[in-house]
Amino acid sequence: MKVYLGIDCGSATCKGILMSEDEIIGQSIRPTGWSPQMTAQEIFDELTGQAGLQREEVKVTATGYGRVSIPFADRRVTEITCHGLGAQFILPGVRTVIDIGGQDSKAISVRDGKVLGFQMNDKCAAGTGRFLEMSAHRMGLDMDGFSKCLKAGKSCDLSSMCAVFADSEIVSLLASGKTREEVAGGVINSVAAKAAALAGKIEVKPPVLLTGGLCELESLKVILAEKLETEVKSDPFCRYAGAAGAALIGMRR
Amino acid sequence: MIKMKTELPEIFEGFADARQQGFLAMKELKDNGKGVVGQFCTYTPQEIFMAADLVTVSLCSTSDETIKDAEKVLPANLCPLIKSSYGFAITDKCPYMYFSDLIVGETTCDGKKKMYELLGETKNVHILELPHKQDTPEAKALWRAEIVRLKERVEKDFGVEITDEKLRDAIHKRNIERRLLKEFYELSTMTPPPMTGLKQLQVLFGSQFKFDWNDKVKEIRDAIDSVRTAYEDGERPVSEDAPRILVTGCPMGGVTEKVVKVIEDAGAVVVAYENCTGAKQMDRQCKEEGDPITNIADHYLQIGCSVMTPNPNRIELLDRLCEQFQVDGVVEMTLQACHTYAIEAYSIQRHLHEKNIPYLQLETDYGTADIGQLSTRAGAFVEMI
Repeated sequence: MKVYLGIDCGSATCKGILMSEDEIIGQSIRPTGWSPQMTAQEIFDELTGQAGLQREEVKVTATGYGRVSIPFADRRVTEITCHGLGAQFILPGVRTVIDIGGQDSKAISVRDGKVLGFQMNDKCAAGTGRFLEMSAHRMGLDMDGFSKCLKAGKSCDLSSMCAVFADSEIVSLLASGKTREEVAGGVINSVAAKAAALAGKIEVKPPVLLTGGLCELESLKVILAEKLETEVKSDPFCRYAGAAGAALIGMRR
Repeated sequence: MIKMKTELPEIFEGFADARQQGFLAMKELKDNGKGVVGQFCTYTPQEIFMAADLVTVSLCSTSDETIKDAEKVLPANLCPLIKSSYGFAITDKCPYMYFSDLIVGETTCDGKKKMYELLGETKNVHILELPHKQDTPEAKALWRAEIVRLKERVEKDFGVEITDEKLRDAIHKRNIERRLLKEFYELSTMTPPPMTGLKQLQVLFGSQFKFDWNDKVKEIRDAIDSVRTAYEDGERPVSEDAPRILVTGCPMGGVTEKVVKVIEDAGAVVVAYENCTGAKQMDRQCKEEGDPITNIADHYLQIGCSVMTPNPNRIELLDRLCEQFQVDGVVEMTLQACHTYAIEAYSIQRHLHEKNIPYLQLETDYGTADIGQLSTRAGAFVEMI
């Protein structure tokens, strides 16, 4: 039996999906840390170890910004192509993928898992997972605390589109008496606005799937759906969309 | 008449070897009494300088080395080509800029136009007023008058007479050069192409820095022969399956070769350049019979740059090249803060979409920090094709 491992090595987290021809055998996620190479190796060891596989039984496809630093990969494919295929695997018939990653966000137009067009953010942290993480940190919150704040359903205006200026704006907002719930709502609104602007440059067709590390933030889905005027679906497994897509590409040849 | 510059700059001793060689080559020309005219743009009618027996050099800088110096004066949010060129002028680091006795610019984009004003404070600058329409009698008359004014300025500054006969000869020679460069890049209409896009670009770009016409023509001829011979001998530097890409947008060369590299590293091949470095400049011949000034004016005014409104000639050329080179996708490179190309990118994308030709716009500058982002975008584009 041949087994396929997809490793999506992003700027924030490294994801691995191990698949046979029929099903998912294993999955793993861990912070990328300072060495994408080492983290990818750990994921490889963990997943193949659990399944009791030898190196030659596994075909490895790497994606994500760290794909170039994974020496044991049999193949390297960009995360755009992988997210297209991974999204089709998660939600068959998907037409639009919005992926919000650690250092970039992208909107991808797909049909039958094949990429028809895409848009990525510029060299700028605004609207990325890193921006959200930084803002939470500024408010003394971890991601769980941040999601709890969002549940209050409050918001405020955050006018800066630059992550650095937004950071100082958050400080001013908190100093002026805004609650963390309100500021958190403002931050998520700003991330959604950036993603919606990217999506506006491609043709947004339903169904829309949100992938990436923020896939479990219910309020992000709600705001995105409002802005795009169509339902936005997601699932906790959506953070593995890139890795699953990579494993599926490995299966092809 | 102006006094021609023949002395090396004060900071010469501090330069690396390659740059010193560049300066020494230019100094030799100057010591032999050759006058040098610097130009930035494809709209500059080189025939005028050729007819005056002057050397023409291209001043569009392609590295970020002097951008920091330029930003002491110019805004940071400006096109890198403009900042870099101005930076080389004020730091004496470019031999061509330094030894130019006359610099000719046009009112193409707003950034260049205002930069030339500042450049004129330290250099001998002549500005041509380029109309932004190509088909009205008024635009044609204005541009012709500007060519006459340039001819008179060159005659005065260098103490020469430019006759119609010399102009006709210059048009003829430039046509030979255009025809040869076109023959060279058209080699890539073959499947698989006989050279990589990087090699093609380097020859096209490099031809701007050959100062003796006979040598230049011979070198281009040799380049054509060597590529063709190698192909006939069975050399295949490019795979037959490589998707064929056409590059359009802002001028290319130097650091922006990175765009070609990321496309070709992703497994595709650049077969044609529609931009200034390529077909935009070489595609058409200048008319040889009749009044040479009118012929020169008419020829240059029809260049399809995004500063023109509307700009139908760019679309016409693009369509023709896509067909001739059997293009699988188009990549447009826009330099940061180049508004005319960035805005026109939308029209180009829409036009190509209607023809079912995949399109990708890559915005970049003269730094190398964005190579990761560029290669992800180019990689995904090639995978998509």
